[in-house]
Amino acid sequence: MSSWKKVSKTNQRTHRERHQPESRSHLGLLEKKKDYRLRAKDHDEKQRTLRLLKRRALNRNPDEFYFHMINSKVEDGEHKELEKDDEHTPDQIRLMQSQDLKYVSTKRIMETRKIERLQSHLHLLDAANEVKNKHIFFVDTEKEAKQFDLCKQLDTHPSLLKRRINRPRNIALKNMSFPEVEEAVIEKLTAERDKKYMELQKRIERERELTVIQQKLEMKRHLLNKKERTPKRIKPSTKDAPPIYKWDYERKR
Amino acid sequence: MGKPGFSPRGGGFRGGRDGGGGRGGFGRSPGGRGGGRGGFKGGRNVIIEPHRHEGVFIARGKEDALVTLNMVPGEAVYGEKRISVEEGEKKIEYRVWNPFRSKLAAAILGGVDQIYMPPGSKVLYLGAASGTTVSHVSDVVGPEGLVYAVEFSHRSGRDLLNMAKKRTNVIPIIEDARHPHKYRMLVGMVDTVFADVAQPDQARIVALNAQYFLKNGGHFVISIKASCIDSTAQPEAVFASEVKKLQADKLKPQEQITLEPYERDHAVVVGVYRPPPKSKGG
Repeated sequence: MSSWKKVSKTNQRTHRERHQPESRSHLGLLEKKKDYRLRAKDHDEKQRTLRLLKRRALNRNPDEFYFHMINSKVEDGEHKELEKDDEHTPDQIRLMQSQDLKYVSTKRIMETRKIERLQSHLHLLDAANEVKNKHIFFVDTEKEAKQFDLCKQLDTHPSLLKRRINRPRNIALKNMSFPEVEEAVIEKLTAERDKKYMELQKRIERERELTVIQQKLEMKRHLLNKKERTPKRIKPSTKDAPPIYKWDYERKR
Repeated sequence: MGKPGFSPRGGGFRGGRDGGGGRGGFGRSPGGRGGGRGGFKGGRNVIIEPHRHEGVFIARGKEDALVTLNMVPGEAVYGEKRISVEEGEKKIEYRVWNPFRSKLAAAILGGVDQIYMPPGSKVLYLGAASGTTVSHVSDVVGPEGLVYAVEFSHRSGRDLLNMAKKRTNVIPIIEDARHPHKYRMLVGMVDTVFADVAQPDQARIVALNAQYFLKNGGHFVISIKASCIDSTAQPEAVFASEVKKLQADKLKPQEQITLEPYERDHAVVVGVYRPPPKSKGG
């Protein structure tokens, strides 16, 4: 008969509940019976829990122990499980560390090869002009030394003196012909070259880092030997150097 | 050219390349085009600048390298990079000369005044090792010149021999440079002695060889590694003492240059053997 019920309800006046009057609006929403029931149930639940906890506290066994009591901890109001460290035998540790070492050294060798390959056609020509080197000319007498003129000695144009990688002689300068190259092409090539130099720089940095890591790992491996007495540390490791240890001298047979 | 974005950057040459690729089969059909493009590319990518020393060049562009004219085009000696450039009709090939591996190249880039190895000269090269630098010296002296390459180690001597097979102007000698009398029948008078032997008695070795083979007024070029001669002394002091030793053997130094940034504590000394008296020579 639900269909009848439904039909009969169509003409029914909609039931409108009373809401909070304007004068009492400061008290918030007007509570209805169903709201009250929810609130009361929640309250009862809480009371019951409290009562239960109180009773348990009274009935507590002071000798009670669970492992969870020591395997967990409250930290900043947060309950946390304490995690156990992975277990390894000393042999396993040694093996793992040597594998790390091998991996690092392989990577380092790869970097070194790549650097060599890049450097074989990137000769740092602009840097070579700026890095200082020492160039001595030997002359016979002091008079000659006083009169020494680098420009005359090298037979080149004075403006080229700073350009050490190539200082053509005056005769060659007169006969030199320059290829016609568009500005845009030069720009493009320079950009490509700069990109390669950037790669070279990054690889050199990485290689340096890997070297330090390798040295540190090697030192760690040496320290694992339990048969020897622990060596004395002379210097702690820094960002770019492994620690320095001194082993007791042991006479070899 | 289909892409207007390239034209203001002077990309006539770039745009053309892209267009050709885009057209696919149509662009590829004339067989001559592919070959032409390769040379075009090679020419544009590198600018070759003649160096102060004859036979040596500097390649700028994508590379940033010291190069020599390859005497045997199409062949690399030790896996070095080659750069071919089309000049007019003919194709010229250069080989990259790595200053990180060659002391002579490092000295050239350091701005040394003279290396005394003009095309057509005869050079005695002591301490040739695998012949990497020797191959470049052979490029520099050219087909008219001659390089006698002396190396004691058989192992690196093998590479030296293989290199000399391809280059007619290199004469390999597997012998101890301390005993020049053992190879005196092979070597004639030379214009220049180059030594890179890295031995404590290097000066004596050079002096001995100079006595046998170097003409009066001929020149020597020696690379000195400070740590090989005295690892405890200051490099400057080592160089000075070596120069003194050379002077005692009538090897008169003319200039000395250190090899930064390519090598640390290395120097190259260039000089003349038994120079003619000054009053006569002017």
